[in-house]
Amino acid sequence: MLQVKAGDMQKMGLLFERYHRELFGFLYHMSGSADASEDMVQTVFYRMLKYRHTFTGDGSFRSWMYHLARNVLVDSVQKNKRSAHHHDVAEYAERIGGGARADESMQREQELATLQDALTKLSPEHREVLVLSRYQELKYEEIARILNTTEGAVKVRVHRAMNELKKLYLRLEH
Amino acid sequence: MNCEGAKDRLLDYLNNELPAADRATLDAHLANCPDCRHELAETKQVWQLMATVPTPEPRPDMRTNFYAMLDTFAEAEAARPTRSWTSILDQIKSFWTPTLAARLAYSLLLVSLGVAAGYWLQQKQSPDVAYRQQIDTLSSQVQEMRQMMMLSMLENPSATERLRAVSYTKDISDVDGRVIDALLTTLNNDPNVNVRLVTLEALADLGHDSRVREGLIHALPQQDSPLVQVALADVMVKLQEKRSLKPLRQMLRQEGLNDLVKSKIEQTIRELS
Repeated sequence: MLQVKAGDMQKMGLLFERYHRELFGFLYHMSGSADASEDMVQTVFYRMLKYRHTFTGDGSFRSWMYHLARNVLVDSVQKNKRSAHHHDVAEYAERIGGGARADESMQREQELATLQDALTKLSPEHREVLVLSRYQELKYEEIARILNTTEGAVKVRVHRAMNELKKLYLRLEH
Repeated sequence: MNCEGAKDRLLDYLNNELPAADRATLDAHLANCPDCRHELAETKQVWQLMATVPTPEPRPDMRTNFYAMLDTFAEAEAARPTRSWTSILDQIKSFWTPTLAARLAYSLLLVSLGVAAGYWLQQKQSPDVAYRQQIDTLSSQVQEMRQMMMLSMLENPSATERLRAVSYTKDISDVDGRVIDALLTTLNNDPNVNVRLVTLEALADLGHDSRVREGLIHALPQQDSPLVQVALADVMVKLQEKRSLKPLRQMLRQEGLNDLVKSKIEQTIRELS
């Protein structure tokens, strides 16, 4: 990224190749929309180019990327309050290849749908820490850096989020 | 370990983030606590289920779009002038067309020509006789003009104007006969005493001229104002004009002569004889 900052724009391609899936995953789990996430990935990378001078090189590129991604998410939520959350999950299920789970039980499908439902009902703060720790597989330390807080605070928040999710899931299941 | 502590650690336990010692204690607690075992089972279920939530693959256009965006951005960035010295130099260079250079050279040439011409002219004409002659002519013309003006102003009905006319004689360096005649006429005939006094003053300054002296002597018996008579007597003393003794003695014989003037004239006669 420092090379990009120095003016070598084409180095951004390397960063894209390395991180776009991770970024897409985060945005997808946060927004629930693959289409919107693709647009947001584009926006994040555009902002990286435009605001490359703000990258100090102190923190990792990854945390900077998440910082930008969170801002883009906030912007898109404000732009699109009606939040078409998970509306296109079915559409994507086809693309992922329903065949992969064709042998799985109907119950499993049901559980998954319930969990996704529960996830959308979580507050954005709780969903965020769960997505970061469970899907993005980030260490608490890294999450703390992204959220500008302490490791302990992240730990507490993850616990609360998990309890909340569990409650929601169990309530929806029954 | 109590249930509270155990529940706090369930997630780390599932995450494999628990230190080995804590893990052992938690295992021990779970073995004896069905409540916590249940809790763990539920958490585990959700935790593992979360992992099965699919993440779709982004479509290939995303990559295409990204590279298109990157190219556009890089191009726009390259087109934008960066604020470095080299770019400023480049800008100046781009400004520097042959036409501009020619124009600049031409204007510089004109300026240097002007400067050179100025120096040349100044050196050539520094002892400028013609110039001095011109100035002399001009100043003599101005003198003539002043005389003319003075003479015409002496005819003015306003006493103030006539006073001013008399005062001009101080500025006239080369007083000729016409001016002296005019002044003497004023001294003898002007109806205003003040004008006569000022005229006398002006004539006294011209005392080196014999015509003025004669005129003043002749003016003595013609004056009727005591002020002018006294002033005239003073001028006679100042000029040490012995020829004035005769008219002064004549004045003493005049009837109705002011007493003050009388004593003044007597004093003057004493001083002159």
